[in-house]
Amino acid sequence: MSNIDRRSLVKGSLATMMAGAAFSRAAFAQSSEPILLGVSGPLTGPNAQYGTQWKQGFDLALDEIQAAGGINGRKLAYQFEDSQSDPRQSVAIAQKFVSDPRIVMELGDFSSPASMAASPIYQRGGLVQFGFTNSHPDFTKGGDFMWSTSVSQADEQPLLASYAVKRLGLKKLAVLHLNTDWGRTSRDYFVKAAKEYGAEIAVTEGYIAEERDFRSTLVRVRDANPDGLILISYYSDGALIARQARQVGLKQTMCAASSVYSPKFLELGGEAVENVHLGTRYFPEDPRPEVKKFIAGFKAKYGGQEPDAFNAYSYDAMNMAAAVLKIGGTDRRAIRDAFAKVKDVSSVIFGQATFDVESRRVKGAMNAELVVRKGQFALWDGKPT
Amino acid sequence: MSSWLDYTINGLIVGNVYALVAVGLALIFGVSRLINFAQGSIYLVGAYIGWVAVVQLHTPLPLTIIVVAVAAAVVGLIIERFGLRPLQNSVRIAPLLATIGISFVLDQLVMLTFSPNPRALPSQLPDIRFQVGGGTIGPLDLLIAGVGLTSALLLFVFLRYTKLGWAVRATAQDRDAAMQMGVDVNRVNQAVFGIAAALGGVSGLLVGMYYNQIDTAMSLQATLKGVVAEVVGGAGNVPGAVIGSLLLGLVESYGVAMLGTSYRNLFAFLLLVVVLVLRPNGLFVSARQAPPEPLTGTFIAPSRPVHIPRWALLVAVAGFAILPLFPVSFYVLQTLINAWLLGMLALSLTLVAGTMGQVSLGHAALLAIGAYTSALLSLTLAVPVGLAVIGGGLMSAALGTLLISPSFRLRGHYVSIATLAIGEIVALVILNWESVTRGPIGISGIPPLSLFGYDLIGPTSIYWFSLAVMVVLALLQGRLLTSHLGRSFRAIRDDDIAARAYGLGLNRYKSLAFIFGGFAAGISGGIAAHLYSYINHETFNTQQSILALTVVILGGLGNVVGAILGSVALVGLPEVFRIAAEYRILIYGIVLLLLVRFRPQGLLGTV
Repeated sequence: MSNIDRRSLVKGSLATMMAGAAFSRAAFAQSSEPILLGVSGPLTGPNAQYGTQWKQGFDLALDEIQAAGGINGRKLAYQFEDSQSDPRQSVAIAQKFVSDPRIVMELGDFSSPASMAASPIYQRGGLVQFGFTNSHPDFTKGGDFMWSTSVSQADEQPLLASYAVKRLGLKKLAVLHLNTDWGRTSRDYFVKAAKEYGAEIAVTEGYIAEERDFRSTLVRVRDANPDGLILISYYSDGALIARQARQVGLKQTMCAASSVYSPKFLELGGEAVENVHLGTRYFPEDPRPEVKKFIAGFKAKYGGQEPDAFNAYSYDAMNMAAAVLKIGGTDRRAIRDAFAKVKDVSSVIFGQATFDVESRRVKGAMNAELVVRKGQFALWDGKPT
Repeated sequence: MSSWLDYTINGLIVGNVYALVAVGLALIFGVSRLINFAQGSIYLVGAYIGWVAVVQLHTPLPLTIIVVAVAAAVVGLIIERFGLRPLQNSVRIAPLLATIGISFVLDQLVMLTFSPNPRALPSQLPDIRFQVGGGTIGPLDLLIAGVGLTSALLLFVFLRYTKLGWAVRATAQDRDAAMQMGVDVNRVNQAVFGIAAALGGVSGLLVGMYYNQIDTAMSLQATLKGVVAEVVGGAGNVPGAVIGSLLLGLVESYGVAMLGTSYRNLFAFLLLVVVLVLRPNGLFVSARQAPPEPLTGTFIAPSRPVHIPRWALLVAVAGFAILPLFPVSFYVLQTLINAWLLGMLALSLTLVAGTMGQVSLGHAALLAIGAYTSALLSLTLAVPVGLAVIGGGLMSAALGTLLISPSFRLRGHYVSIATLAIGEIVALVILNWESVTRGPIGISGIPPLSLFGYDLIGPTSIYWFSLAVMVVLALLQGRLLTSHLGRSFRAIRDDDIAARAYGLGLNRYKSLAFIFGGFAAGISGGIAAHLYSYINHETFNTQQSILALTVVILGGLGNVVGAILGSVALVGLPEVFRIAAEYRILIYGIVLLLLVRFRPQGLLGTV
């Protein structure tokens, strides 16, 4: 064996060893570095409670995703940036996420101004902005990188109208709504559907989010003499209205949008929310397996705490993100295309979620018809109250 | 007809709720001439202490009230001792800002301790209702009314018939004279803060029970309504605060009755502006009484401004101008764009507040007017974006000046309160004027910035554009300040009586300052609208007005370079502390407090 040969042999084996080391290091990096999602949402400021609820839902979903082997063998993680739901901060966060190659997709923001101010940056940066509380009708019109699992109010409100008018037989309605983009859009869809079902809208009253006192509003409602009150509210203001309605002597049947579905609604409303009817996207006693799994998992992780709607939205969003990433991998553009390809993803809100490629939203929200009985949410038994 | 009885009763009930906060505010204003923006936070603290007592310790109601009163009083004493007493000899604006800083800290501490989720605070009274009119009244309504009226009565007796009460009144009338007569002014202040805080805490507890609901976002709204009620009644006048509160409750209730729920707060703030214009001292303070504000420039810290040589400024501007040529991330550029936009707003505010002495707490309204004008011009009338932004600036200048002009005869804190109200009114008009502003749905699809037909969409071009606009505005303002006009502005700030005696027409000069300031703020709002592509009535809120004021104080009132430096610092700070997530606002509040304590004239000093 010549010297040269030996040298080249040594060289060759060294090269192989180094290549092997490099390869295994690359493989190691692949498996240990989690796939990272960016979350832009409120952790401080007036909407802080929703950011806190998001985290609970995300973390539960992540536990389950990692336990099931992650995304094609890699872990999934998120980086939560506090925007206070303020557009000035959400645009800066958007630039941060877009320019950070580790971030493969973004979730949020909470409110419409904060989300839609950031949309142009995500669209131009080619990063999916996946909004799951963004019911503003224009949110997904921001571009083909905007996708949403937020239930379109065009879907939900006719279901509520049908519950109130057709099933409960309420013919003359008073509508109280939160005067935000969400409340206003919902009100318009509700009123349109209710009229189609033959009801008369006696009065509509919009209130701002900080409002605490509704007694004078309710006197206006009383003077309009409706036979049903419709609350397009979140759980905290919904509970306030219900309490004060009883205090000013209104005894009419009340119906509420699914957004009041929260154990907090019962706690804050007390006896006043007894017999309130509501549609909901999910319900703990719903026999669907995805709901049972979610409720059981949530209670186990958070010391028996009952989940509510925002927990369910964020849980679903994280699961949807995982399903998309399994198809799309880690390339941002491929991830956008994967949204059109996911099919029948198991979802608490939708049962099986599939995107409508035109609207970039999911269609066909479930609606269970509930009523509050003895301080608990119960499936409505069909009896009038 | 019976409904009007119900509206009246409802108005009186909610007025009672406002009174609980307003009485504490009035007491503090009476003695220290200070609008305590932390009163709402003490109310919040009281509610949560009450929650702990009721839900976890199961205390009976009388004991709960005592526990809350004592605990809140302790908080008040701590605030007085460590937050405000060190500022005694400072300028008048320092304690005002300190109370804002304290409210950030308190709100955030409560939120970190109890989580932001709302909680139920069960009333410990039996649930019986008495039929009155078409509605009902419960024991808690009566208790709230009782506490409000009793505390006002007790305070009246205390002020009129006790030695400490005399000391309080003497201090309120003339602090120095009282001190010379041997009154321990510090002890008086302490007593007043303790009493006001106890009242504030108990009101939080009772209001929480009334709604069976407490949450960490309730403090600002309470402060706003309390301030309105107190100023309507006559700042510093305890019975006036009660009557002002009842009046506010009634006006709101009748407003809802006539026009509907969405106009409620509009009526509250309109009432305030009308009262301030017609009776600047409030309804129940006689005009003969000495004006509650000093006449001349003691509102603002005199100081020798830091002189920055011209070459250093040139180097700084050049440095920022070439920054995008280096590999910096778009995130940094976007953060600086935010700083330039805030810088334009700060220039506007530093002119009217610093140079002219008209401290504005509603400056976000000017942003909103500019943003809506520019967005609507470009969307509905297809005006080119560059011109639309200028249109936004002009509209802010015109409308802003017009709106603010009724407050030109006010002084000191009253100007801040009036501007606060005008800020709220503009937001509420935007919310309700649907045919023009599209109401709560907001305006979406606003076209991107463009100049001579070229779209500016990348962060680099927006960065250069906004930097250039800000520099031009800063140069104009710098020129203005060194001119004769600038000296006239400062003369009015420092001594308006002397200025008037010298022949300066105050209203005209104030208008000029607001026209220029409104233009700069409107341009900032216009650019923001095209940058965001979506705006609604919440995009430019009170928080931004407070931020702008903080920037201006940080930089040094009236200081052009200071305003820009302050903007970079205050946009940068929260970004730097972004990792601290939940603690960000806490840190911000503490920084604000330290600043006010150790450098009230700002980083670069007042010009």
